[in-house]
Amino acid sequence: MSGLPLHRRAGFRLSFRYLLAALLVIVFCFPVYWLFIISFKTPDEIFAFPPVWYPASLQFGNYWVLFKDGDAGTVWNSLVLASVSTFFAMILGTVAAYSLVRFKTGGENLAVWIISQRMMPPVAIVFPLFLLYVYFGWVDTYFGLIILYTAFSLPYVIWMMRGYIEDIPLELEESALIDGCSRWEVLWKVVLPMARSGLFATAVFTFIFAWNDFLFALVLTRTEVTTYTVQVTHYFGGQSNFWAKIAAMSVLGTIPVFITVAIMQRYLVRGISMGAVKG
Amino acid sequence: MSDLKISNLHKHYGGFHAVKGIDLDVPSGEFTVLVGPSGCGKSTLLRCIAGLEETSQGTIEIGGRDVTYARPRDRDIAMVFQNYALYPYLSVKENIAFGLRARKFAEAEIEKRVSRAAEMLAIGHLLQRFPRELSGGQRQRVAIGRAIVRDAILYLFDEPLSNLDAQLRDDMRVEIKRLHNELGRTMIYVTHDQIEAMTLADRIVLLRDGLIEQQGAPLDLFERPKTRFVAGFLGSPKMNFVDATATRTGVKLADGTTLDLPGQKGLKAGAAVVLGLRPQFITVAGKTVAKGHARVPAVIELLQPTGSRVQATLPLGGASIVAELAAHDVSKPGEKIHIDLDLTRAVVMDPQSGQVI
Amino acid sequence: MTATVHPDRNFKYWLVAPAIFLLLLIGLFPLIYSLIVSFMRIDMMDTDTSFAWFYNYKTLFKDSRLWWSLAHTLLITAVALPIELLLGLAMAYLFLEKMPGRQVFISLLVLPTIISPIVAGATWRLLFDNRYGPINQILGWFAGEPVNALWTINPTLVYPAIIFCEVWQWTPFMFLILLAALSNVDKSQTEAAEIDGARFIRTFRYIVLPAIWPVMAIAILIRGLDLFRIFDIVWALTQGGPGTKTETISIYAYVQGFKQFETSYTAAIAFLVVFILTVVCVWAIRRMGLVK
Ligand SMILES: Nc1ncnc2c1ncn2[C@@H]1O[C@H](COP(=O)(O)OP(=O)(O)OP(=O)(O)O)[C@@H](O)[C@H]1O
Ligand SMILES: [Mg+2]
Repeated sequence: MSGLPLHRRAGFRLSFRYLLAALLVIVFCFPVYWLFIISFKTPDEIFAFPPVWYPASLQFGNYWVLFKDGDAGTVWNSLVLASVSTFFAMILGTVAAYSLVRFKTGGENLAVWIISQRMMPPVAIVFPLFLLYVYFGWVDTYFGLIILYTAFSLPYVIWMMRGYIEDIPLELEESALIDGCSRWEVLWKVVLPMARSGLFATAVFTFIFAWNDFLFALVLTRTEVTTYTVQVTHYFGGQSNFWAKIAAMSVLGTIPVFITVAIMQRYLVRGISMGAVKG
Repeated sequence: MSDLKISNLHKHYGGFHAVKGIDLDVPSGEFTVLVGPSGCGKSTLLRCIAGLEETSQGTIEIGGRDVTYARPRDRDIAMVFQNYALYPYLSVKENIAFGLRARKFAEAEIEKRVSRAAEMLAIGHLLQRFPRELSGGQRQRVAIGRAIVRDAILYLFDEPLSNLDAQLRDDMRVEIKRLHNELGRTMIYVTHDQIEAMTLADRIVLLRDGLIEQQGAPLDLFERPKTRFVAGFLGSPKMNFVDATATRTGVKLADGTTLDLPGQKGLKAGAAVVLGLRPQFITVAGKTVAKGHARVPAVIELLQPTGSRVQATLPLGGASIVAELAAHDVSKPGEKIHIDLDLTRAVVMDPQSGQVI
Repeated sequence: MTATVHPDRNFKYWLVAPAIFLLLLIGLFPLIYSLIVSFMRIDMMDTDTSFAWFYNYKTLFKDSRLWWSLAHTLLITAVALPIELLLGLAMAYLFLEKMPGRQVFISLLVLPTIISPIVAGATWRLLFDNRYGPINQILGWFAGEPVNALWTINPTLVYPAIIFCEVWQWTPFMFLILLAALSNVDKSQTEAAEIDGARFIRTFRYIVLPAIWPVMAIAILIRGLDLFRIFDIVWALTQGGPGTKTETISIYAYVQGFKQFETSYTAAIAFLVVFILTVVCVWAIRRMGLVK
């Protein structure tokens, strides 16, 4: 092709890739940057025209207001709901997946039925659920949302954990049975440690699903267990949005997920690819 | 006293009948080897004994106690698996201690037993390592260590050496034999390697299609097989089978050679039979013909040296047979020699039923 | 006292029982309830539980707002999904080969995906603001004159806005999955093809695509399903407005149930949605060869 020596061409290629990569990073990260930066702006900076691209100094006033009004407590609600439901979904789901894999409980049919639950659109069940919850008095309670999130995550957990559990050699479990473990102890002492990385990866995604939920929380909470996603929308108002609050609340609600993802990163990539491969 | 007593054991996998009624009695302290071709049900039988498979019919007693419906952990057994079954997330020490911990042994006792087992297996220096940091042979030692730290009545081995290379396998075989002598425990060992079976066993139980074909001391099976299947399965190289016709005192081969079989009575003259001759019981002719031996001429077709011995393929009575000869007795294919057949150890079988006559 | 049955027979059922109970309670019960209620005529005015049979379903067919909401949903899906797929694939190719700092780039690019959709919507609401948002400002630089586009209000601009946001949030997801899939493709095969002089398109079509298809098909299926029930992003950006211009099927069902309290009618819509999804899923799973 061109008369350039090979290493020069490789050099151009690499520079080109870096250029594209940088461009992509700017496009994909700029909105996050903007959200972040608004949360630290003063009202004057927010409503300046033309927009202020970076604030003169970082103002924590917007966050201070959220804590003072107690709005920040909704992040705590989200945290409780997401972690507790993840905990239960992981336990129930892993145990069920183990049964499906090892004992072929219910055969293919049960497995297919469970995965089909994953496709259920929330909007199809949210209304009858609302009536059910009103009947039982579960609306606006931790308990109600926790069992809802747990149930809603179960198909995903079962599906993912099935793949990981299939990879555990049967001999390890049999050896433990002979060595003196009960069935439950085998689960606890062999299956869980063997499926550790899968458990982490699955747990992170389960947590994020619950964390991100909006529709269920919108319908099934009032004031007590309002999640942060619902709280963010409370600041929307026709033409005059509470911009500072939207931004600060969003950042508050994003930080826990960032931290989780950062800590769990090495499990995640495996989790995504595994989950995708095993479907 | 017998440590294991199995009566009329059956196992069905769905529609497949894997174990078809086995009776077995294993005396205390005995080393029993289950052998048989692939798929004959050795592992299935062992797993039924361990309680890893539910039995379909029949009873199992271990140490005089009926355990047919007991959980694996209540059977007082220990087992070594083919793929080691070590926990990758536990150190060697914790792997060995796993069973003791599961049974809530005191820490001091665990410590004592683990170090004794490690010493017996010469893996004391590996205790802090993890399984992935061990070689195959070392892993197998750890797996054995995990079984012997426990005071089980019965020790089960399912092809524990089949993943090792030939050299290591020989070493470990010796090791297991030594352990058995030292511990004096009852062991049941599954293999399809007949050298392992012959060298390790106090008693061999030969399975075929879910049934016991024959059981007894290794030499007993080797020299006095009850069926053609047993005769052909044990021994390497395999026993030679030559079609023949029975005479009053022996057999007549297809080319007219007659062989007198000492001590063979009850042969029906004129009936078709199969003569079985082990390659080991054929020698190059010496000065005199020993009693009960027959001398025949032969031309060597093929030689396969194995070291001090050589496997020679020769024609005999219209068939090709293999003889295991001393290496310096023969030189090259095409050589004309005389061979002596030890007919006192020959077996005659019915070609239809395969039963030894 | 020797036992006469094998122990732990019911162990496997104990393991699945709690999960199944929850799934029945949260998944199946509401569905059956919906089915029954959809044959009645319960609404805010009237808790008449007499059976109206197919009345609600007949109404569905005459309800143009419903069919429009379905069309809006399909429009968003049909535009966003291919963009996400192709862009994700291109990005996966860009980062397929090793380069220093690759992991940092990937981590940064994944940011949008881990943000809650509602926050993503809110963020773009800020970005799209006609006066104080940076988008119009940046467009103004290129146009050379102030731009005053009403992204979330102008009927011709709301769809680009929604799709922008959707693509921004979910392309990284596609990218990650496809990157993992591409990394697993047997290098020796693609290299052999390149040595044979095969063009990129051919190599991709006959070697790479078959290898990554199982993963890609699932990714498409997952994203397609998510797009079909899209709610959060649209809710945060436009709440279905202007008017009902961007009402998706999920938003419409929500409005019917919780704003109009049309209990029975909402149930009928829910059933329609479940029906469509089931048909599409079964078809897609067959078509994509996900089951033998
Ligand atoms: N879980 C099972 N389901 C159905 N059939 C089985 C199962 N396990 C074993 N079998 C069948 O039972 C027969 C005996 O199997 P087994 O594993 O006991 O053979 P084996 O003698 O141990 O053979 P190998 O030497 O190859 O290990 C085989 O034909 C096998 O196909
Ligand atoms: Mg076997």
